[in-house]
Amino acid sequence: MDARVDPSLNNDPHAGMLAAYAAGDRRAARELVQALTPRVFGQAHRMLQDRAGAEDVAQEALVRLWRAAPDWQTGQARVTTWLYRVVANLCLDRLRARRAVADIDAVDAPADPTPGVAAQLQDAARLRALSDALAQLPDRQAQAVALRHLEGLTNPQIAEAMGIGVEAVESLTARGKRALAAILAGRKDELGYDDDQT
Amino acid sequence: MMMTRPDMPMTELDDLFAQARAVDPVDDAFMARMLADAYDAQPSAAQVIAQPAPGLWARLIDGLGGWPALGGLSAAAAAGVWLGVMPPVALVDWAGQTLGLTETVTLGVGGDVFGLTEG
Repeated sequence: MDARVDPSLNNDPHAGMLAAYAAGDRRAARELVQALTPRVFGQAHRMLQDRAGAEDVAQEALVRLWRAAPDWQTGQARVTTWLYRVVANLCLDRLRARRAVADIDAVDAPADPTPGVAAQLQDAARLRALSDALAQLPDRQAQAVALRHLEGLTNPQIAEAMGIGVEAVESLTARGKRALAAILAGRKDELGYDDDQT
Repeated sequence: MMMTRPDMPMTELDDLFAQARAVDPVDDAFMARMLADAYDAQPSAAQVIAQPAPGLWARLIDGLGGWPALGGLSAAAAAGVWLGVMPPVALVDWAGQTLGLTETVTLGVGGDVFGLTEG
């Protein structure tokens, strides 16, 4: 059976495929997985800086989409917009859980790493510090900053994803970025920023 | 006086964001797991076809608000009929005062519908 419907539905190509998916179309399932997996995995990876965690989040986000598919209203949010919100929320939950056990899981770096390895470790530590700092922001600030500076969305796109006005987005991203700079300033020595300048 | 540490310069923060945007590609094994999840959760075409579309009555009842709303509507209609057939005296007086005119119509068997009057 070809259950595919007009892909221009709601000006959202994924909404049409999702309707076809809910109608049992296997090709639509495959196309949606191919189109959406890199997106949701990428967003989760950028926020978490942890490949395994990003895979878990991507898997959970798409399972939620499959469950929502039969009742999906074509007039509601675009599929990708809906996923941005779901992934951001799942990542923030995971980041907070990670912070809570950070001390237990902390692993010492090698005592005397070679310069190349040391630089890689430092880069990884900085990126991890960024995602940890993100988890310390209030939810909406963290979402807005991640969507703006990690996903590269425009303010109107973020406004749509978060269901708020553009001015509110501007305010949230500005405050969030200042707060991140303040949090990371406390870890500058630990993350070796001073070493880079000498 | 307590010393406050200066914030990280915004250029350094922007560099960090740029670095964070680089993501490894999705590997094939993970993609296969995602596809398996999608197939597992997908209703089969046969299941979708087997679900009959709701009939005219079902859609009408849904439109009215479902069975609870229909029950309320029936009760209200029955109360209206009862008030029409056996209006309380107070209601007739009130209608007379308000509207200035009432008219009583006797249907078929006369006013003593239940044969309560002796003689």
